Amino acid sequence: MLAACAATPPAPVVTSTPAPGPSEPTAPPVVRPATKESTAVASLMDSARADTAAGRLSNAAATLERALRIEPRNPRLWSELARVRFQQRDYAQAESTALRSESWAGKDNALRADNWRLIAAAREARGDSPGAQQAREAASRFEK
Amino acid sequence: MARRSRIVRYISYLVLGTTAVFLAFVLHLDLRVQAEFEGRRFALPARIYARPLELHAGLRIARGDIEDELRELGYRVGGRADESGWFLSNGSELDVSVRPFMFWDGAQPARRIRISFDNGTVARLADSEGRELPLARLEPLPIGGIYPAGNEDRVLVRLAEVPKHFVDELVATEDRKFFSHHGFDLRAIGRAAASVLRAGRTQGGSTITQQLVKNFFLTPERTLTRKGTELVMAVLLEAHYSKQEILETYLNEIYLGQDRDRAVHGVGLAAQFYFGKEVKDLTLAESAMLVGLVKGPAIYDPRRHPQRALERRNLVLRETRELGFISGEQYAVARSTPLGVVQKPLVGTSPYPAFQQLVHRQLRRDYDEKDLRSEGLRIFTSLDPRVQGAAERALAKKLDDFDRTKRFGPPGLEGAVVVTDPQSGEVQAVVGGRNARYRGYNRAMDAARPVGSLLKPAVYLTALAEPSKYTLITPLDDGPFVYKSRGAPDWAPQNYDKKFHGVVPLRTALAQSYNAATARLGTDIGLDKVLGTVKKLGVERELRPFASTLLGATEMSPLEVAQMYQTLASGGFRSPLRAIREVTTQEGKPLQRYPLNVEQAFPAEPVYLITAAMQGVVREGTAQGLRNFLPPEVNAAGKTGTTDEQRDAWFAGFTGDRLAVVWVGYDDNRPARLSGAASALPIWGDLMAALGAEPLAQPKPERIEDVWIDPQTNLRGDSGCPGAVELPFVQGSAPADRAPCASAVGAAVDAVDNTVKKAKSWLERLFGR
Repeated sequence: MLAACAATPPAPVVTSTPAPGPSEPTAPPVVRPATKESTAVASLMDSARADTAAGRLSNAAATLERALRIEPRNPRLWSELARVRFQQRDYAQAESTALRSESWAGKDNALRADNWRLIAAAREARGDSPGAQQAREAASRFEK
Repeated sequence: MARRSRIVRYISYLVLGTTAVFLAFVLHLDLRVQAEFEGRRFALPARIYARPLELHAGLRIARGDIEDELRELGYRVGGRADESGWFLSNGSELDVSVRPFMFWDGAQPARRIRISFDNGTVARLADSEGRELPLARLEPLPIGGIYPAGNEDRVLVRLAEVPKHFVDELVATEDRKFFSHHGFDLRAIGRAAASVLRAGRTQGGSTITQQLVKNFFLTPERTLTRKGTELVMAVLLEAHYSKQEILETYLNEIYLGQDRDRAVHGVGLAAQFYFGKEVKDLTLAESAMLVGLVKGPAIYDPRRHPQRALERRNLVLRETRELGFISGEQYAVARSTPLGVVQKPLVGTSPYPAFQQLVHRQLRRDYDEKDLRSEGLRIFTSLDPRVQGAAERALAKKLDDFDRTKRFGPPGLEGAVVVTDPQSGEVQAVVGGRNARYRGYNRAMDAARPVGSLLKPAVYLTALAEPSKYTLITPLDDGPFVYKSRGAPDWAPQNYDKKFHGVVPLRTALAQSYNAATARLGTDIGLDKVLGTVKKLGVERELRPFASTLLGATEMSPLEVAQMYQTLASGGFRSPLRAIREVTTQEGKPLQRYPLNVEQAFPAEPVYLITAAMQGVVREGTAQGLRNFLPPEVNAAGKTGTTDEQRDAWFAGFTGDRLAVVWVGYDDNRPARLSGAASALPIWGDLMAALGAEPLAQPKPERIEDVWIDPQTNLRGDSGCPGAVELPFVQGSAPADRAPCASAVGAAVDAVDNTVKKAKSWLERLFGR
């Protein structure tokens, strides 16, 4: 009765993640420089990463949002949240959240390249190939 | 012979008939008793919580604020090591024994933490062994509930959770034969009847079962018929349900107190309400006090009649001793302890009715009203009690001042405040009126008033989105302006000071809130485009498509204004304002999460420029009064608003960590002498000063460059030019030519500066930093 009225959130637990096939959009892999967050935020990020690895995506997102309340200007947090949204298949939010990371990213070119690659993947997943191409070009500019 | 058999027949019909009627009646009662009993188990109110305070090193918070919140959570000062729910001051440190709590993301166990402070900031967090803790989340403060009809509130407990001594005391005092009778106790009834005859008083002859049944009725009649019905129902109840089931339901049903308009039912909630504890942790003496309340929660209210409550408690203890349930020593110890009742928790149906209405409205989109009132949902919100308190105080105090001095009109001013987190759109406080406790007209959400100049940033933002046409220094004509449109009277807006100011830079027209210049600009750009901007900013309401809308002759509530300014404060990323974070079931199973959603409504550059212009409103424009409240480093951005005939005063603005909208006016919309700067601004200033404001420093987008401008010529200048200002421009939109006052030295310095900048960025790209 209650379930019928409540908007169903994405299922918080996934028992096994299917291996991505060629048609399955995947988040591009990431290489990051050492982070310099406060210990509070660092511990929340660790917790979020563990949740993501275990498929508990809603929990991961909630934890990252908790971290964002402590350091709202941290572009890495926004970037990680974008990544989780991507895995939750909310590609529109993945792109918007990555763009939010961009606004704080400043000179962190490695992070910016990450963000643009994620945006490219998100656009590709929504069928926007030209947009995806533009995003890939932007990413490569930051990779030099 | 025939007559006798006829009489016998009539009598037997009569007897049969009466028996049949009686049986039908009993059957009806039987069905009713079962229905009521089953129904009792399920109606639980929804419980609403504020945000949990998250402690970490570096958090700016006064120790007193943490202690206040702990006190409101019912934490006591000092406690045993094996207990939770207490705190203790220890020099510059605070020891807290945090209670366990079921959050949306799982159960958080009880823990001990030590908080070290340094100058209004948390310096360090440690556990009981002194090991550093990165983070500690306190329980959220309950701030209200959505109650079943009758505003009853309860916390369900299972019989196993209730201490044995509690049941012993209850039986000893209320119904000594509970475990052996079948619903009623003849001897008890006899004693009661005797006491009625003797002293005209009714001494309860009701068993626990009868008392439970009494609760099934809506009206408290005490007639013989009612008592008879209740007796039959009690017997039926005992026939259907076990002693344990009856006792458990009784313990969850019994009325034990009143908290303003909230009725406290059941021992679970009573244990929290009076002792800040869970029922399983109640001591002998504490349980005895609660058992004593059964007879009359108002008469024996420990907070209003402590002496009477103490005597009643000791009577309960005595009766328990008499029946041998406790030893003489236990009795002696218990009766000599003080009552131990904690400060009344700040709940009621809600001390924050305006915020609660926002929560309720958002919940109704996803949940049935019936489920909200009966399923025991736990709702976690973003309310920040500290911010809420500061907002309420700022509004009430200033309105009191204004009423006293009658500066803006006769007494009776009203107001509203909304405070949000600029990066996430979470609502931290909602104040619906100067009397914040009053559950009535919620001006923050429901008072749609003309916004006046608060709409101007939307006009200027639209302009600045076309950098080839408009920059912060673009000259605008603040001369007399007449707008003609077919079928409508000519519109000739006046400035606030009734003067026209000639040609002024765009940023000045906004800083000084010039109407003529804005009307001209808005009509040049096109009303459609401006309305489009307002929509993109997040305002859902359809605004009137008239030129006067450009100057804010259009209504919005303070909450809608907050949504609009939210998009500006977050660098152009629109997030819908949210009051709820998560919802769980009564047991803590996650039901729903309301995630942080963002959408880029505007590119970064025009939002950066309008924010800079709004900082100018504060630095040199109509909001200069803020310097009496905040140091200049805060660099807040905002906009004052005053409407036609000075009926409304507004201020909307943001700092690095908070956005707030303040409205002041009269409920009957009468003309007054209000102005945004004089009435709403001081409330905003007071509020931000009380909370401590973080400086506003928007990240500079790549395509924005800072350029020195000579205000005399509107050309590039340098420090050599008198009155030169450094302003942000989208690359390529700044004037190309240099002003005459710009010296050759200045030009050379600029050239070197530029070369150095170019070299730096080349090196950075090369080495990828």
